[in-house]
Amino acid sequence: MNYKAVIIGGSAGSFQVVTRILNSLPKSFPLPVLLCLHRLKHVRSGFVEALSLKSNIPVEEPYDKEMMRPGKAYLAPANYHMYIELANRIALSTEDTVNHSRPSIDLSFVTAANAYRDKLIGIILSGANKDGALGLKKVHDNGGIAIVQDPADCEVKTMTQAALQLTQVDFVYTTDQIINFLLKLK
Amino acid sequence: MPELGIVDMREIIRAMKSDFDYDFGNYALTSLKQRLERIMVMYNMGNAEGLIRKLRNDNNFFDTFLYEITVPSTEMFRDPSLWRWLSEDYFPGVEDKNTGKIKIWLPACVSGAELYSLAILISESGLQDKVHVIASCLSNKSIEVIKSGLYDLKKMEVSEENYKRVYSAKELSTYYKPGHNYALRDTRLIQNVEFKKLNINFDNAPQNIRLILFRNSMIYYNPTQQEKVLHVIYNSLSPSGYLVVGIREKISGINTGRDFEFINETESVYRKRILS
Repeated sequence: MNYKAVIIGGSAGSFQVVTRILNSLPKSFPLPVLLCLHRLKHVRSGFVEALSLKSNIPVEEPYDKEMMRPGKAYLAPANYHMYIELANRIALSTEDTVNHSRPSIDLSFVTAANAYRDKLIGIILSGANKDGALGLKKVHDNGGIAIVQDPADCEVKTMTQAALQLTQVDFVYTTDQIINFLLKLK
Repeated sequence: MPELGIVDMREIIRAMKSDFDYDFGNYALTSLKQRLERIMVMYNMGNAEGLIRKLRNDNNFFDTFLYEITVPSTEMFRDPSLWRWLSEDYFPGVEDKNTGKIKIWLPACVSGAELYSLAILISESGLQDKVHVIASCLSNKSIEVIKSGLYDLKKMEVSEENYKRVYSAKELSTYYKPGHNYALRDTRLIQNVEFKKLNINFDNAPQNIRLILFRNSMIYYNPTQQEKVLHVIYNSLSPSGYLVVGIREKISGINTGRDFEFINETESVYRKRILS
């Protein structure tokens, strides 16, 4: 295995896609999956439960400084930024919003790219703003794999188009192709 | 935008320690890096040496640095359900049993969001004469900002929404005046607050505290510093005193975890446990 983690960013229109990805991954999926999805700041519960419904891997909102484990998904909690520290630890932050967002996809992606360099797979999904574009560029610049959901396959194209504009990505994939790509990671 | 490498970070941390006796070596690396880079942008510094030079040559800058390095709370009345719990469950309970003043400590105030929220709650509960609030800050600038009443106007909209979730029939706007970029909070709310400047290890922390509000501050420490500070917090609490941390902060994983028990798991409220 050449990779240490998968990080997925999404906003409007990404919920169905993330659900399909989680429902397709096997219990034995060999990497931790980091999910940074835009969500309402004041609604603390419900989201992780909805994502967990049919997921084969456990989906959790991490506590600060929690260690990441393979075969688990970590959802950025409401009104916190989620950073990836060295040594597989997650760190939370209440710093200012970035791109009007907390959690910010850019911050999660940049910190993960700094921690995992070329051992990271970054995926940007459907969304209505440009958060994540800079983050995905960092993943690519550090030698990781940059994947963008095909804008034609997105409910809202803005986020994927912004990412494509900034970075020569490795793959532009439909949801099915993203799932197939992840299933081949053994 | 300047980007600090690991070597730069070490240099800055070393300079802070040798020149000012402030050891940021046990702060969480990612957020510390971001705070430092943010300061460098604000003050037009191209690299780590520029920052270190400014710290050494400008006596007034260190206090500003301490103000900017700390992260203020995102808004007033963050997590409205906690404030509702304090107002409906906690305060009515302590009022009855206690004869002296209830001491409340906010160890890490930056912009005063938590402090003013608490002061409003105390005022709404009519407990002004029954509590003594201690607010400690890392910098003098924080104390000045809080005492001036100035607050980021942009944060008021979400604060208003939060406040409505605590007191459905009331308006937060009775407690501040909107200005051009700033809201001016009613400083009468904090006229009896005791302010203290404490260092990053909270040396000379206040004692016999019944309630400590310490939310989303320890997330900026690494586990070593978290444990060290929790020890100070434990010693500051009176027997069966309460500690509130952020909802995604866990203190049970650390050694000192056995010293606290949950009172309200949803809102991350702990009670000091007396070890026999």
